[in-house]
Amino acid sequence: MDRDDSVVVVRPGWHPLFQILVSFPIACFTGALLTDIAYARSADMLWADFSAWLLAAGMVTGLLAGIAGLVDVVAKRRIWPLWQRLTLVIGGMLVLTLALFDNLVHSRDAWTSVVPAGLALSAITVFIMLVTAWLGAPKSYRRVVAVQQTGVRQ
Amino acid sequence: MIYAPAMRVFRPALATAAVLAIAGAAPDDFDVRTQIGPNPVLPAPQQYLLPPMHLASVVGWKAGETPKAGADLRVEALATGLEHPRSIYTLPNGDVLVVESRGPGIEPYSRPKNIVMNWVESIVTSSGQTTGSNRITLLRDTNGNGKPDLRTVFLDHLNSPFGVALVGNDLYVADTDAILRFPYTEGETSITAPGTVLTPLPGGPIDHHWTKSLVASEDGTKLYVGVGSNSNIMENGLGAELDRAAIWEVDRATGAHRIFASGLRNPNGLSWEPTSHALWTVVNERDELGPNLVPDYLTSVKDGGFYGWPYSYYGQHLDPRVQPQRPDLVAQAIVPDYALSSHVAPLGLAFDTGHGLPSRYAGGAFVGEHGSWNRQILNGYKVVFIPFKDGKPNGIAEDVVTGFLDGEGHARGRPVAVALDKTGALLIADDVGNAVWRVTSASQVQATITPP
Repeated sequence: MDRDDSVVVVRPGWHPLFQILVSFPIACFTGALLTDIAYARSADMLWADFSAWLLAAGMVTGLLAGIAGLVDVVAKRRIWPLWQRLTLVIGGMLVLTLALFDNLVHSRDAWTSVVPAGLALSAITVFIMLVTAWLGAPKSYRRVVAVQQTGVRQ
Repeated sequence: MIYAPAMRVFRPALATAAVLAIAGAAPDDFDVRTQIGPNPVLPAPQQYLLPPMHLASVVGWKAGETPKAGADLRVEALATGLEHPRSIYTLPNGDVLVVESRGPGIEPYSRPKNIVMNWVESIVTSSGQTTGSNRITLLRDTNGNGKPDLRTVFLDHLNSPFGVALVGNDLYVADTDAILRFPYTEGETSITAPGTVLTPLPGGPIDHHWTKSLVASEDGTKLYVGVGSNSNIMENGLGAELDRAAIWEVDRATGAHRIFASGLRNPNGLSWEPTSHALWTVVNERDELGPNLVPDYLTSVKDGGFYGWPYSYYGQHLDPRVQPQRPDLVAQAIVPDYALSSHVAPLGLAFDTGHGLPSRYAGGAFVGEHGSWNRQILNGYKVVFIPFKDGKPNGIAEDVVTGFLDGEGHARGRPVAVALDKTGALLIADDVGNAVWRVTSASQVQATITPP
């Protein structure tokens, strides 16, 4: 965490907008998986309604984060390995595509708005989101720090 | 309620179909006539990412335009310029009450879909943004020429009214949340006395299906009220459905009620069949299982009968969207008498008990079909006739009054309730065209318009 902070400090003008925005879809889609599970176990529509709102909010904030992420990917291309940028772009698009379908499935009424297709989509969305985050964004920050420090020494 | 772990109830086939099926992907070459009559063809249920939707945008009636009817009938406007007329009642002296009514509009946005659907609905119903609705207008034809020459506001400031029934000097109006009783004297053109609540009805919260159809028993001791469900298919939870999707029997003396029949998603047009004296109704069935499910229907109503909603349709066809299921209730579910085909949205029913129409209609049923939204090819938007014999439907439904859609599929109007006037002419409430249409025998009209 110290290193992440140091990046922001040593490169003024690099606002962590993407990092701020992307926390919303991460929380929303993870929350939707949990409320989907709660609905599948209880058949209480309250949980399915929560899922529908979380997925809608995740979709909107996810699109905003996606725009910010694309700007970052282009702006930081010299210090951010291509394969990680690709991971982030492809993973992000996959997550938003799955979430779009998940939103549509959740617009059905009652049981089949969640079980089984909605629940499955929510689970896959969260899984791909975690893989993308693991391979894409966090590691890149370590690389950013390394590049910076090298640059300072030279 | 103890609830079995739901994950066991996976339906892989349905899930696959659900993910793959996209709205409108398959051409709809289904013959809707196979869903008219006692044994409708029921395709497998489909679920969609986007349900098929086709909305008839409203263009209204141009001057001089009327609905069309067969050669033996004639259609004229009884009244125009009304505010969302939905229901009609003929008083013993021939005065016609037109119930102008708007939905309560209190359904909460419990999820994002409600916001979208609310917007969709605002396109297909001329919502009558004016303030004049939720009242009853009286029309009187003093010289018998078929054109009312007196028009008054009979009752005002009602709460989404629909059904009306007169027993003696007691006039009952079914608001969306209560049956009200008003004192009525024959010949009155306006009632200012406050109404008395006979029986509260399930209204808000939500109030998804808000029209409360009303009919008095032939001996006048009971009232029967249609109370529609509070959802399409239980998406607002079981608690929201208490005493709904049912026909209530209300004791006129005490206001006490019991459930007369249940499992009727949205029953309207409660009427007595003239030969068997059985109670009949038309019912709006569930949406979003495909363009050809579930057929709406016309049925006799058995005391204590259960007709499937929400658990099943047409007897024992399970609805995959309802959990937990109730096999005990499904086992008892009665198959309705007569399917009208899918999504036609029947809201009006009247038996031809008069002598104003050609004799081939005698004893049969007229049904007002408000029209579809949940299929690509529009269905309904017309008044159909179902011949009856010995108290049962006898033959295929035929179109009687059409022309509510123009050539491009825009809605000039949409029929709702149907009723007979004192002369036996058929009246049709048109809540989008804001008119009441009067259908008479073509030959008889010639006679009545002859100057005296």
